[in-house]
Amino acid sequence: MTSENHAASPILKARIAGALYLIVIVAGIFAEIFVRGALIVSGDATTTANNILASEPLFRLGFAVDLVSVAAYVGVTAILYELLKPVSRTLALLGAFFGLAGSAIMAGNMINHLSPLSLLGDAGYLGAFEPDQLQALARVSLRLHSLGYNIAIVFFGLHLLFLGWLIFRSSFLPRILGVLLAIAALCFLTNNFVLFLAPALAAKIPPYAMLPSLIGEGSLALWLLMVGVNAEKWREQVGAGE
Amino acid sequence: MTTTADHQSLQSYARLAGALSLITMAAGISAEFLVVDAVIAPGDAVTTANNILTSEPLYRLGFAAKLIDYTFYLGVTALLYGLLKPVSKSLSLLAAAFSLAGTAVVASASLYYLAPLFLLGDAPYLAAFGPDQVQALAFLSHKLRAIGSNIAMVFFGIHLLFIGWLIAKSTFLPRILGMLSAVGGICFVLNSYTHFLSPPVAAQLFPYVFLPGVLAQASLALWLLVMGVNVSRWREQGANAERNELAET
Repeated sequence: MTSENHAASPILKARIAGALYLIVIVAGIFAEIFVRGALIVSGDATTTANNILASEPLFRLGFAVDLVSVAAYVGVTAILYELLKPVSRTLALLGAFFGLAGSAIMAGNMINHLSPLSLLGDAGYLGAFEPDQLQALARVSLRLHSLGYNIAIVFFGLHLLFLGWLIFRSSFLPRILGVLLAIAALCFLTNNFVLFLAPALAAKIPPYAMLPSLIGEGSLALWLLMVGVNAEKWREQVGAGE
Repeated sequence: MTTTADHQSLQSYARLAGALSLITMAAGISAEFLVVDAVIAPGDAVTTANNILTSEPLYRLGFAAKLIDYTFYLGVTALLYGLLKPVSKSLSLLAAAFSLAGTAVVASASLYYLAPLFLLGDAPYLAAFGPDQVQALAFLSHKLRAIGSNIAMVFFGIHLLFIGWLIAKSTFLPRILGMLSAVGGICFVLNSYTHFLSPPVAAQLFPYVFLPGVLAQASLALWLLVMGVNVSRWREQGANAERNELAET
């Protein structure tokens, strides 16, 4: 009875957060690189349309997996809020707001991911448009999806920045994870502001420039999953906060 | 002296949650079945466009009802968070986070509900498109709205699953309500995912996976409104949780 009510230990929470975070990363990479990256051809609406129609199940799977990633991120956000609250309640809450807002933007924006299938389908009413017009509209929709994705990443970047700071100040997680996370956040933010302000310049940023983001998020996820947190120091910091 | 007042306020929170929840259901269901279903002719953009234009006031009323649904559910979310916190603070926070995300998604997707009115309006710049083209765009807008609500239902489904778990673990609400909510939540997620992965299957599955969710929400709402919560047990569970939290630190 009482043991049932007993709050889950910080280590268990950390491990769940780590597992969810790993799902976020793996599912996100699968959808972005192995599905959208494989099917969408930049500047070529016709090939893109043909690719999507030829691999419709894969395209739908990418969408479904991406939504799992977003939902898992909501879980990560809430659990990390609780774990990092002892460091600073205010900053943990602020970070969680950015994480939640980013997730909502990401999820809402996924309408643009699925709409090409409505445009490229064989519904009779679409006969009002020429096939090349529908293909162009589908390509525009995917462009919008990519824009919305990058808007959400600005919010995720700010979330990570707060997480990095909180982890750095915590006594129960290694400081280096906080530093790596802050670097990951700055990578996301720089990349996306260049993208919004000077798209031509952004196209020249090599893909491996985003590697620090993967390293930062990946190492936090793995640490949380394998090691968790130092429960004794976590409780100490909870006591100190009160 | 404070205890009676506290008892009353806790009970009135529970009843308020029930009442708000019933309002969201009534508003949401009537908008969907009395307005959207009456106006949208499946696969027929021309009839749909004519329906929207001839019943514009009804159509706008449907939008207002939807906004009432979304905004009031934020109230339900906060009240359920407060009521279920004694069971598990972490899980009630998680439940609330999913509902917040779902609400943000469905509310922003409702712009696609209103967009057809602009597309079918008489703004001169729309003459750049043929009448059948604007009608097709208006119809497409409804498709996008439907995608948006299916995305949001994934988040609401997870929200309902956590709420169900918390109720089942609570001592102050009947366990069966929790089980119904959990099943309803899983059904919502299932419904959305079949829509994403295989729309033809989803169309056949819809009544079976949609009704449990509605049934769960309705029974929980009615119970909260009529019976409220068992206040002394709520207090007991809250005190236990606090003791454990103190013991932990």
